[in-house]
Amino acid sequence: MAIETTDVHFSYGAVKALDGVTVSVGDGAVGLLGPNGAGKSTLLRILLGFLTPDRGEGKVLDLDIRRARHEIRRLVGYMPEDDSFIAGMDSVTFVSFFGELAGMPRREAMKRAHDVLFFVGLGEERYRLIETYSAGMRQRLKLAQAVVHDPKLLFLDEPTSNLDPRGRVEVLELIREIMRSGNIQVLISSHILADIENLCSSVVILNKGRIAAQGSLDTLRVLNYSLYELRIKGDAAPFRLRLEAGGSRIEETEDGILKVFMPPGRDRKEIFQAALEAGVQIRLFRPSRTSLEDMFARAVGVD
Amino acid sequence: MDVGTEVREKGYTGWEGRLIQRRFKWSPIARTGIQLAFRKKRFKPLFAISFLPAFFFLVGIYVAERLEDFRAFFREANSFIAVDPGFFRAYYSNGSIILFILLVLAFAGSGLIADDLKNNSLQLYFSRPLRKKDYILGKLAVPAFFVSLLTFVPGLLFIIFKLIFSGSFRFITEYPWLPLAVVGQSVLYIGFFGLYTLSLSAASRNSRYVMVLVVLVYFFSEILSGILKLIFRSPYTGLFSLGGNLNQITAVFFSQKTPYAFSPVWSFLVLSILAVAGFIFLFRKIRGVEVIK
Repeated sequence: MAIETTDVHFSYGAVKALDGVTVSVGDGAVGLLGPNGAGKSTLLRILLGFLTPDRGEGKVLDLDIRRARHEIRRLVGYMPEDDSFIAGMDSVTFVSFFGELAGMPRREAMKRAHDVLFFVGLGEERYRLIETYSAGMRQRLKLAQAVVHDPKLLFLDEPTSNLDPRGRVEVLELIREIMRSGNIQVLISSHILADIENLCSSVVILNKGRIAAQGSLDTLRVLNYSLYELRIKGDAAPFRLRLEAGGSRIEETEDGILKVFMPPGRDRKEIFQAALEAGVQIRLFRPSRTSLEDMFARAVGVD
Repeated sequence: MDVGTEVREKGYTGWEGRLIQRRFKWSPIARTGIQLAFRKKRFKPLFAISFLPAFFFLVGIYVAERLEDFRAFFREANSFIAVDPGFFRAYYSNGSIILFILLVLAFAGSGLIADDLKNNSLQLYFSRPLRKKDYILGKLAVPAFFVSLLTFVPGLLFIIFKLIFSGSFRFITEYPWLPLAVVGQSVLYIGFFGLYTLSLSAASRNSRYVMVLVVLVYFFSEILSGILKLIFRSPYTGLFSLGGNLNQITAVFFSQKTPYAFSPVWSFLVLSILAVAGFIFLFRKIRGVEVIK
């Protein structure tokens, strides 16, 4: 397991940020989801050893988060959410500096800094002062410093925040490229669900400091509910009432399609039964995939 | 530039090397801090000018050894330029050298931590295998470097040039403890001014503000001590002056009469308390993430 935590608690004074978080994250890219204040950044900071949990245990790459913080940091790359740089430095010095601090020999760090800056698309701008960079360039620079020492595990905290659509696509492509190399596991904390859905094979959803759901996206989709799309002819109200009484959630799209979210264990035949009883005709019926947005909304309890 | 195209042209490749365990993990921080200081506008000329007091004192040593040549200029030369421990004390407690140390540190040291706080870079440092002490030592090495160039190096050069100009070892046999006094004095200045600069730098996110503070706080303590002396007429008011306390200890290092009529132990205690307070402040202020409890 890349990351394992058991019953981790952490409070900022009276405010509970994490309340018994037990996570098990395996191979591949993992998305860390949750609304603002859910505890995502706190969990990342605990995994990096910035914060010590009040209670509970954890391991990152089989290293104890309390006892082997420095070993963990050698093997992990971290791209923080905030704008972070050193004033008065050009980007090649900046990246090689953090490579050196990670334990790379000086010359190798400088050589590698050039390589990763070309990888993130800042090769031509590598001798420019960082203060003069745009927000998108600084975002890519943060990614470059995170991968300069070729970590085994990469923590990305909101990697596409504050980016324009083009910049977002570029950063996502870079992350995908890093994942394709096969040597680096990635944990992405983001509130942009589409990014997580694009990149990750599994997710951990946090809500109010607790785990709301975790597992592979495919499994969670099956476990949480089945989704069907249908178009009906007739009075939808009694039909909807019957389905909702059976525990299903129904949404109507702008073009009149009903999305029926059936809870686990229910049979789709119930939809036809409800239609029969309500006296409506089903003109279209197709199974659909639950989007991450649907799953997230359900996990954190919002519509 | 078409950045998007460039991104797709270069793929990610791993690094084949091995990470090393540095003995001095703080050394890259120190080196980078010194390099960044020299990149600052107007720093190089200021740093060059700050060697003027040392240069004048070196000239003094030369003049003292060639008195016959300069007799016309210095009628009372024997008492005017005597190269002895008092000469060294005069250099180290000279107002101009203190002013230059403060100015150099204001330029080179004000942003050491303030800029890291402002630009959120502490989290990048501490996402690496660094301890707080590595970070603080790395940052402390920057003022230490500049202060040692203005204190230790001139002190050493004074001894060497005195020996060269006099052509004998008599001076060192008369004062065999002088090199140690120079080392002790330099360590005192390095420790005091290093912690002083770092503590002020950690007190604010605005390096310009810190720059002003580095000079002002020192001279404010002198003014405060002066005012208190006028009111209370006690020598102990000297304890409120940072420079006064340093001068007390400098006098001890060079076996000279202390400027204040109280035991230098009190000055040592005051500076030690300030040093401990500075360390505690730094260790509390520096953390990978801002935690508001």
